[in-house]
Amino acid sequence: MATTTAAVTLTSDLLSDNMSVSATTTCMKAGTTADGLDQMEYGYVDVATGDEFDLIATTPTASKASKLYLKNHSTDETYYIAVTQNAQAIGRLYGGDWMFIPADFHDAAGDIAITANGGTNKICYALFHEGTALLQT
Amino acid sequence: MATTTATITLSSADLLTNVLDFSSTATLTGANNSTGLTHAVGLSRKKLASGHAQYTLFDGDQYANGSHKVYLKNTSTTASEHFTIEINSEQMGKLYAGDWAFFPWEANADTNDIKIDPSADDMVLEYMLFIDE
Repeated sequence: MATTTAAVTLTSDLLSDNMSVSATTTCMKAGTTADGLDQMEYGYVDVATGDEFDLIATTPTASKASKLYLKNHSTDETYYIAVTQNAQAIGRLYGGDWMFIPADFHDAAGDIAITANGGTNKICYALFHEGTALLQT
Repeated sequence: MATTTATITLSSADLLTNVLDFSSTATLTGANNSTGLTHAVGLSRKKLASGHAQYTLFDGDQYANGSHKVYLKNTSTTASEHFTIEINSEQMGKLYAGDWAFFPWEANADTNDIKIDPSADDMVLEYMLFIDE
């Protein structure tokens, strides 16, 4: 099986003591510890202001354990992408920010979409998954 | 100003024919500015009561619209146990045993609550919210 690990470290001095939180996970298929996610898509795109795009051009199999990494490589702090799922706002990813979420694409409407604001945003994304259905033309 | 950083490292020796290894660090700042976030909730640890159906982790009504950041971790070691994460009743995904998530939260409406739904009794969630005030 493929073994892909995702590690996060959060550090801060906003408390009276320094804080450091770390976590590491191996990206597994849904409900198992025996088989890792074995497929991925990766992209780097410019997204013009005002346009909304579905981030993933294929449809990962619903209710699986897909993991989505998304980073805004813009360097202007006022640039951001609005991230939505099925038209529901998740949050704004400002220049330099990244996010990592489980995305189970529970049905055909569960697309994750991004809309650029402030200027042309440079977006990097990676989807680790266990199968997709290619969209028909 | 407080400085809070979030670093992710994604790596795999065998997913691709070449080694995958990349890392990214973000400094957590407010919306449209470079001022570091100065408030937080957590790090917290919550054991969901037996039979609990759904738990409102963060109430959209309690936070202003901003560049908040959410950290979640499922501490379970049982592979099938997961938390379903919802924002305003839209299902984002399932956080399986050992998995973590980190994402921006806009809280742009009172209804934009973050809720979690455990798949089994007595599951334990660790969580933290960095607040843009």
